Amino acid sequence: MNIKGSNPLEKLTRIALDHPRKVIAFAIILTAAFAFQFRSISIDTDPENMLEPDQSERVFYNSVKRDFGVHDLIVVGLVDQQGIFRPDSLQRISRATAEILKIPGVIIPDVVSLTTTDNITSAGGLLDIHPVMGEVPQNPAESSRLRAEMAENPFLHEKLASTDGTGVALYIPIREKNQSYRIAQQIQSVLKDHLLPGQSYHLAGLPVAEDTFGHQMFLQMAVTAPLAFCCILLLVFLLFRKSAFLLPIGLDAMLAVIWAMGLLIGTGHTVHIMSSMIPVFLMPIAITDDIHVLSAFYDRYRETGDKRRALLEGMVPLYRPMLFTSLTTAAGFASLALTDIPPVRVFGLFVAFGIIAAWLFSMTVVPATVSLMSEERLRRSLLPPQGDSAPLLDRLVRSVGRFAFARYRLVLLLGMALLLLGVLGVQRIQVNDNPVRWFKEAHPIRLADSVVNRLFGGTYMAYLVIEGERPEQIKQPDVMAYIAQIQTHLERDELVGKTSSVADIVKRINLVLHDGDRSYHEVPERADAIGQFLFLFQSSGDPDDLDNFIDYDAQRANVWVQLKGGDNQQMSAIERRLDEFLAFNPPPSGLKFRWSGLTYINRIWQDLMVVGMLKAVLGSFVVVFLLMLLQFRSLWMAALAMLPLSLAILLSYGLIGWVGKDYDMPIAVCSSLALGLAVDYAIHFLDRFRKHYRLSGDLGETNEYMFGEPGRAIGRNAVVISLGFLPLMLSSLTPYVTVGLFFATLMLFSTIATLLLLPAILRAAGRRIAGRVGV
Amino acid sequence: MSRSRENTDLSRPLRSVIFATLPLLVLPQAASSATAAEVVEKSHQAFYYAGADMKARVTMELIAANGRKRTRVLTMLRRNETGGREQRYFMYFHQPGDVRATTFLVWTYPGKDDDRWVFIPAVNMVRRLAASDSRSSFVGSDFNYEDVSGRDVESDTHTLVREEELDGVPCYVIRSVPKTSAEYVRKLAWIDKSTFLPKREEYYDSQKELARVFTAHVVEVVGGYPTVVKRTMEDVKRAHRTEVTFEQIEYEMGLPEGIFTQRSLQQPPRKWIQ
Repeated sequence: MNIKGSNPLEKLTRIALDHPRKVIAFAIILTAAFAFQFRSISIDTDPENMLEPDQSERVFYNSVKRDFGVHDLIVVGLVDQQGIFRPDSLQRISRATAEILKIPGVIIPDVVSLTTTDNITSAGGLLDIHPVMGEVPQNPAESSRLRAEMAENPFLHEKLASTDGTGVALYIPIREKNQSYRIAQQIQSVLKDHLLPGQSYHLAGLPVAEDTFGHQMFLQMAVTAPLAFCCILLLVFLLFRKSAFLLPIGLDAMLAVIWAMGLLIGTGHTVHIMSSMIPVFLMPIAITDDIHVLSAFYDRYRETGDKRRALLEGMVPLYRPMLFTSLTTAAGFASLALTDIPPVRVFGLFVAFGIIAAWLFSMTVVPATVSLMSEERLRRSLLPPQGDSAPLLDRLVRSVGRFAFARYRLVLLLGMALLLLGVLGVQRIQVNDNPVRWFKEAHPIRLADSVVNRLFGGTYMAYLVIEGERPEQIKQPDVMAYIAQIQTHLERDELVGKTSSVADIVKRINLVLHDGDRSYHEVPERADAIGQFLFLFQSSGDPDDLDNFIDYDAQRANVWVQLKGGDNQQMSAIERRLDEFLAFNPPPSGLKFRWSGLTYINRIWQDLMVVGMLKAVLGSFVVVFLLMLLQFRSLWMAALAMLPLSLAILLSYGLIGWVGKDYDMPIAVCSSLALGLAVDYAIHFLDRFRKHYRLSGDLGETNEYMFGEPGRAIGRNAVVISLGFLPLMLSSLTPYVTVGLFFATLMLFSTIATLLLLPAILRAAGRRIAGRVGV
Repeated sequence: MSRSRENTDLSRPLRSVIFATLPLLVLPQAASSATAAEVVEKSHQAFYYAGADMKARVTMELIAANGRKRTRVLTMLRRNETGGREQRYFMYFHQPGDVRATTFLVWTYPGKDDDRWVFIPAVNMVRRLAASDSRSSFVGSDFNYEDVSGRDVESDTHTLVREEELDGVPCYVIRSVPKTSAEYVRKLAWIDKSTFLPKREEYYDSQKELARVFTAHVVEVVGGYPTVVKRTMEDVKRAHRTEVTFEQIEYEMGLPEGIFTQRSLQQPPRKWIQ
């Protein structure tokens, strides 16, 4: 088994040590080639791309957008606590609206606002069609008349103005969703120029949130990633007190990130929200092998004082565990390729690539760099008078090992209890997400979301498409009345702010034709009356207004459902509400119902994410287990290696369940790679345990040994990785925060489980297990 | 300036039509010295005011970006009021089936909002429509009321930009800028120097981008009047267009004033709308 010298990986290190300059130069040239790819970077911030282009719900949404001429919306809330219906403030709003129409990318005819949207009123046989605010009111009486007129029209009520009179809204459809950030910036600068002091504005709607997220994300990449990098280097320095270690470690992390991102961009992939996280994921993982290498080198160098010997001898016991830890971590990420979500697949594969690259550097570039350092400097840096580094951590690790070995029954019992707690917690997990929540609570987007959704009918758009079995069916009175009933039912849910449909138009025309007699605010009983009302409506405004709700053949209707919240669970609740209604009130024959809209699309990819991640986790569990079998050639040992990480993962997710944190996109991504990362410590532990046990044959003595250098390396590693992810918490975007926090927790649990559980189990069943593998 | 391909295809028949009708037309040498406003005024006369009265069966095809079509068929009657620039329009809808017998009556006045009435047969009601907004779509098409009955010449400031040939036809190119806010911020019109009919109009929106394009595809001389019998209005940004064909055109029939009253909304004059 033990194949000294002939190990091909060791040969690699020998080559690196024989020609250190050439190896480093070669690595840097390759890195430059990867870095060169960065010039063609293209950015993709659209969560819709979480779905395959031909995914059926996405295809359907595109057809809805095309057939009904609907566009993604920016919702602007203008708020004045003094009351917004004052001549001077309305004057400002009117001017600001005119300026907003000039912004390229805004779809002028479809803008819904006081000055661009028509109201139809009637009196004495006259139908008066005019913009809601044709002339800006000149005095308070006119202002309050305007307010009353709006409150009377269900189409405008709570859509254009809030009930309390403190806010008005503008709905700004835009040509391309990926321009929302730019358009939002321009709208803000118009509003800054035009609004009165004391008036505030809020920009809401999913497109703004999503596009803004994309822009912030790249800021985060430029700030958070380097910050994490510095933090990791600082931790390494604090733990080892060896400035000489910083260069090789920093080099490895940087090269790995450049290789992974370079290959990703060079192979024509867009940098999506997911892939932007590659650097922060890769950096801490990339240096884990280096810490083992340098830790071993350091211990050897103190004994021998010979660089080359210390490197070669120190690394001998590390090749196998390094290979397998890298393979398992890479496999964990690569398992993301099993998901149906393209950006997640790309993310997983390129992180996996980066990990393998980093592993290669650990065996070549890192020893080569160390070998080039002057003996003088190394001696000064590595052999300080007191010699002992981070004694606190060492003592802690040692006492943990002794405790676990001595009180193994207690440890096992505790482990079992925690396992149970984890399982219970996992069952409490709520799957939920909402792109607006990707911003921290104080962010203007979150604020806008809460203000606008409180004052108006809801910024989260969902569409309910109703399809008949033949053309003209939607215009039938029974169908039209049924649509109105669905709306009434949906609107009873307080989550639903407002619904609009072709039935509302028909009812409104019927009402105004009858001089505002409320008893006519209903769907007429004759089909030709419906046809003629719609015809009249078309002759009184923008043709698009009708097309938004009914298609050319009158075979499909589109009901706009404005939700006040965009959580996936809220969308699902509305879907269930409709299903209940349909079950109790059978629809007219042949009608089919289907949801669409951004809020619904987000719910769909979220579901795919959960299922996909589950598949990926199970997939990587199997792969990691097989790798463990290959590594240890023992079912027992493999099972043992899987144990701490299973506990760590169950505990981490259990914690999420207990704390009540939603299982969202970032958490889902963490799950699959958690496996590959958490197994590392068990591999190192078991591999070295077995090696030593073979030599000594004494469990207790082996345990003492394990909590010397090997335990120290694991402990240092754990500190670097757990704390290394923490700078992510400074980010203003919650996915980064979540990932940082989750990983810190997971690695902590994984370390504890490894250092406590493994010695306890080995003590309890050690002779049997070790005996099997023993010789 | 970009032109659609159909234009070029149509240039030959168009040209022959124009050569055939040249002798009938207003003196061309006066045109060269004409001011922009005069050109626009003449164009209005040729396009909206030809004859004392007129009748046509109009087919409108509303064609969406996805190729779906909606068809409207109506009979349009027009009468110029004597001595002034007032006009009266009567419209009777044959199609779509569920709006058959819906009628519109429009009285236009220079410098003042139109009066419009509509009759809705299913509820047997006549209603007056007050629309301060003449930008409203005409029955859901890409044309608005102004396109159908004409916009006051005085509402815009007109400038003669240049004179050039469009599809081989000499044209005035006139830029019109609204004096008060309108649906467009700028309009460029190619007006045929000989017939004074618009050949092409480009409307630019407040983003200074091309929003709508009017094209006169086929001009025929009917009863001595050059008449645009095939026209298109395209909403460039929506990729939506409306194609209009005029058939059974007649001028100078002596339409009686009584047709253009509220009473005939409910009892349309059978004789004229067959």
